Amino acid sequence: MAAPMRKMLHGTARSLECPWRLRTLCAAATAAPAAAATPGKSAASPNGGSPWRLLGALCLQRPPVISQPLSPLQVEMAELLEQIEVEKSRYSDHEIRALEEAQRLERKKADIYDSDDDDEKDILLVQDLEDTWEQKFLQFKPEPRVTEADKKNDQTSLHRKLDQNLVLLVKEKLGDQETWMLPYAEWQVGETLRGTAERALATLSQNSVEAKFLGNAPCGYYKFKFPQAFRTENSIGAKVFFFKALLQSGNLSQARKKNDHAWVSKEELGDYLKPKYLAQQAFI
Amino acid sequence: MAALGAAARALALQGRSGGLRACLPRPCWPHAPGRESHLWATALLSLRAALPVRGEPLRKKKKVDPRKEQAAKDRLKKKIKKLEKVSQELIPIEDFITPVKYLQEERQRPEPEVPFEVSERRTLLMKKWTLYKQQEAEAEQKKIRSMLEAQQEALRELRQESELLYQAAIRRDDSLFPFEKEGPTYTPATPGYQAPEGKYNDVTKVYVQVVHKR
Repeated sequence: MAAPMRKMLHGTARSLECPWRLRTLCAAATAAPAAAATPGKSAASPNGGSPWRLLGALCLQRPPVISQPLSPLQVEMAELLEQIEVEKSRYSDHEIRALEEAQRLERKKADIYDSDDDDEKDILLVQDLEDTWEQKFLQFKPEPRVTEADKKNDQTSLHRKLDQNLVLLVKEKLGDQETWMLPYAEWQVGETLRGTAERALATLSQNSVEAKFLGNAPCGYYKFKFPQAFRTENSIGAKVFFFKALLQSGNLSQARKKNDHAWVSKEELGDYLKPKYLAQQAFI
Repeated sequence: MAALGAAARALALQGRSGGLRACLPRPCWPHAPGRESHLWATALLSLRAALPVRGEPLRKKKKVDPRKEQAAKDRLKKKIKKLEKVSQELIPIEDFITPVKYLQEERQRPEPEVPFEVSERRTLLMKKWTLYKQQEAEAEQKKIRSMLEAQQEALRELRQESELLYQAAIRRDDSLFPFEKEGPTYTPATPGYQAPEGKYNDVTKVYVQVVHKR
């Protein structure tokens, strides 16, 4: 018992830094839907005598790749600000050149001046320059913001809804029903809860996914009781702690079957998760 | 500088005395044979040239002089310090300095005549915008607060479960920062895109802040 005591003392010494830790806002909330109880997981996990099982769940998010479209008010405001900026600015070199050339053209038309001072810069008019620039711009074809996966509504693809956070959900069999939830793993003695979440990620993706965990602390929890059939002396229910992580590279599709997992955005979470579970996902 | 001067002077002294010592043994042969007589004469001449013939006897360096040297050095140092205090040049921020050519008369745009309706519309739009931004800020604050609250609750529950795990959870994660991530762009990246090649001359001015030693 001496070793844990020492560890705790060491921990309390560091807990002075704890306010900093808790105030840092890590990435978006990870919704950890922990729906039904976990049947069949009867591995003995001693929690110091408490009747709750500990599960570590993972809220893996793919951060947005493109910016969100502007709302109408924002578009109006942006135009207004641009107008005001142009009104308050001075002429640039390009504009002065355009003005001078316009003046020269007028003078030519009026036939006052001959082509005396036409030798100077008559080769390239401002109009020609602007046309060439326009042509060059049209030659560049950017990728479309609405991808194919959007049109097909392919839930397993990562290229859907590029302007929103996508959360990973998996379908697990709990008891007799299949429910969608965030991937989790049971806590084992000797590892921290963050380690549990990392293990969940590794088993789920078979190490093909790279994720950056945002801190050691969980961002939310969900408590549920097992149905009467599964309750034993040791475990009335389970507590699931969610950890947030940002997806850096890799995808799940090679590892899992087609319908088992989905990348969903925040609005679509309601379609997949049970209401009680969803309510706890304030942090997603 | 003063030190260098003193060293130079010392060297000069040495040189002169060396020369003196070298010259002195020379005219030891007053009965030189005729073949070398011109040499003896030139030696005398050179001897005279070597000595500073001013009509004054040579003065020895007195003890007052080092003090004078020191005083001169101090005065020089004070002057340098005064100069340094004045010229602490800060690196100019080029964005804040309007180039002179843009302040000229012909560069000014004609004053735009904004009709009354347009200006009314603009003010109303700005008022709507301030309201919108206030709502946005409040929503953000609320979300942050709710996320923090959820985290605090989770930590409280964890503490009830196991003190050890709780301590592990509130430990600082050193591998988290520095955290670098590229933000969202307007369009997604084209896979396999090759940017057009070209040379460019980098003409940015690099300023170096001169830190004067005290």
